[in-house]
Amino acid sequence: MAGPLSGTVSERVAGPRPRPAGPALSGTLRLAGLLARRALLLAVLLVTVFVAVELLPGDAANATSERGESAADLARRRELLGLDRPVLTRFWEWMTGLPTGDFGTSARGEPIADILSKPLPNTLLLGGLALLVTLAVSIALGCWAALKPGGATDRAVSATATGILALPEFVVAVALVLVFALWTDLLPAVTLTDADGSPASWRMLILPVLALAIPQIGWNVRIVRAALADEAKAPHVESAVIDGLPRHRVFTHHLLPGALPTIAAGIATSTGMLLGGAVVVETIFNYPGIGSVLAGAVTDRDGPLVAGVVAVTGAVITGVLLLADLVRSWASGGRT
Amino acid sequence: MTAPLTLAKRAARRLPRRGVVLRVLPALLLVALAFAGPWLAPHAIDTPVTAPYAEPGGEAALGGDQLGRDVLSRLLAGGRELIATSLLVAALVTGAAAFLGALGALRPAVGRVVERCADVLMLLPAVLGILLIALSWPGGGRFAVIAAAVVMGVPYAVRLVAGAAAPVAASGYIEAAAVGGERLWHLVVREVLPNLRATLLALFGLRFVAAVYIVATAGFLQVGPQPPAADWALMIRENSGGIVLNPWAVLAPSLAIGLLAMSVNLAASALVPRSGRREVTAL
Repeated sequence: MAGPLSGTVSERVAGPRPRPAGPALSGTLRLAGLLARRALLLAVLLVTVFVAVELLPGDAANATSERGESAADLARRRELLGLDRPVLTRFWEWMTGLPTGDFGTSARGEPIADILSKPLPNTLLLGGLALLVTLAVSIALGCWAALKPGGATDRAVSATATGILALPEFVVAVALVLVFALWTDLLPAVTLTDADGSPASWRMLILPVLALAIPQIGWNVRIVRAALADEAKAPHVESAVIDGLPRHRVFTHHLLPGALPTIAAGIATSTGMLLGGAVVVETIFNYPGIGSVLAGAVTDRDGPLVAGVVAVTGAVITGVLLLADLVRSWASGGRT
Repeated sequence: MTAPLTLAKRAARRLPRRGVVLRVLPALLLVALAFAGPWLAPHAIDTPVTAPYAEPGGEAALGGDQLGRDVLSRLLAGGRELIATSLLVAALVTGAAAFLGALGALRPAVGRVVERCADVLMLLPAVLGILLIALSWPGGGRFAVIAAAVVMGVPYAVRLVAGAAAPVAASGYIEAAAVGGERLWHLVVREVLPNLRATLLALFGLRFVAAVYIVATAGFLQVGPQPPAADWALMIRENSGGIVLNPWAVLAPSLAIGLLAMSVNLAASALVPRSGRREVTAL
């Protein structure tokens, strides 16, 4: 839920930040603190989601009922799904089941872990590749722009980045399909799947990955560029320049390490946007991921299934944010 | 001798303002066109005028859609609701954030609560948030989308306002007013917020960009407007099957959304106040 919803660069990277720790605090303790904090935030999200689903008018048993089903049938199914037990009991079972990979049962009575087990790796592959592309391209472009501040390259890169960051993923996807699939016939426009449910060819991944990555590259180029510009004003960089160190050495040894925590936080924030955008992009390219599962879940009013998807994506995002915390803590030598 | 000098100085000071106008203009023109669109449409949006996915020409300048309806007419009609909804979301989020942000600067406890909410929401992708609210509110339609966009946008917007309000809240005259026994409401509305006009205007622009993204994505996922409504995002979804036969049925609304997102973003970044802009581009 970041990206276009957070306004400025500083706003976007202002994630939950580890509190300044005293020098007496050891590294392990600080790490445990970070973990606990992230885990707590995730738990709060899961409680919120469960409550939201619980407040649904009409439950899963109702939503999947067939025409002509008697009240007794409904009650039996409700019992089967465990919907007749107190909310607190169900909530406790759901939350305690999550760490063991038990996400409960969907409205149709299938275990949610089974429903997600095939499409989830596909979505993680799609999102992971898009994250890698975002990382590589935005760091490269951001550094390139930062080498000559105010130059033609800088202005071109910054302007383009600002232009594309607000584009919804499906608009980018349509443009890509038109250019690469219909007009030039270079890449496939739809994803065909193998017998095991994964994409049949790596070429089918290119367009979805690009559609996801392009708006995120727009965001992250600006973050990289801004972080480098901030770091360039730091006294140790200035003194390195005055000492006459070669430009590339100043860049790799003095500028980049200082800017790293901000860059990591910015790109970590992209994870949420990538996983959210994946739902939309998968629809366009007919990609076999959780997007199609979600679309079905919303039509079926399958609250438990949606909650399961939120739990998984929340956990993934938590993991990536924690990674960014670690980069921040490592790059600052434990001074955070 | 002094008069021309001050005139020149004044002109120099006005120069960046002209730049702002130039960058805001495309968005204003596009919004005006989208609002006037339904009256300019040559055909009704819900009656077929050509064959399904007919190529451009004759009656329909941009061809037909999946039911043979005129793409141009639907394009002209399809922007008003998207933009009106986005404007409403941007206004609601900016209003709520202005109040909460100023309150948070005066009362740190409130600020901390809002900050924690933003931390939690960061773990929930926007699309999932929309689906979740749409699911919990079956008949909500457009209002469910508005609710989702507002709930998910406010915590981020509050951060921006709180950041801008903190120095104002710490300034002497606010303390003087507080000591003078002014109520909290008066401090927020009369003392703090008027000093944040530029920030709030920029925030409104940024929230509008974000709202266009969310409302369009919801339309694409068919959570908001329902067929046969003409809506740019919905048109893309409905006609993607016939993209080979009449690309314009998909391309035209995509271009419309793309242009809207880009021009509004251009306008929003032009409105960001000088001091705040450094934070945005930091160049």
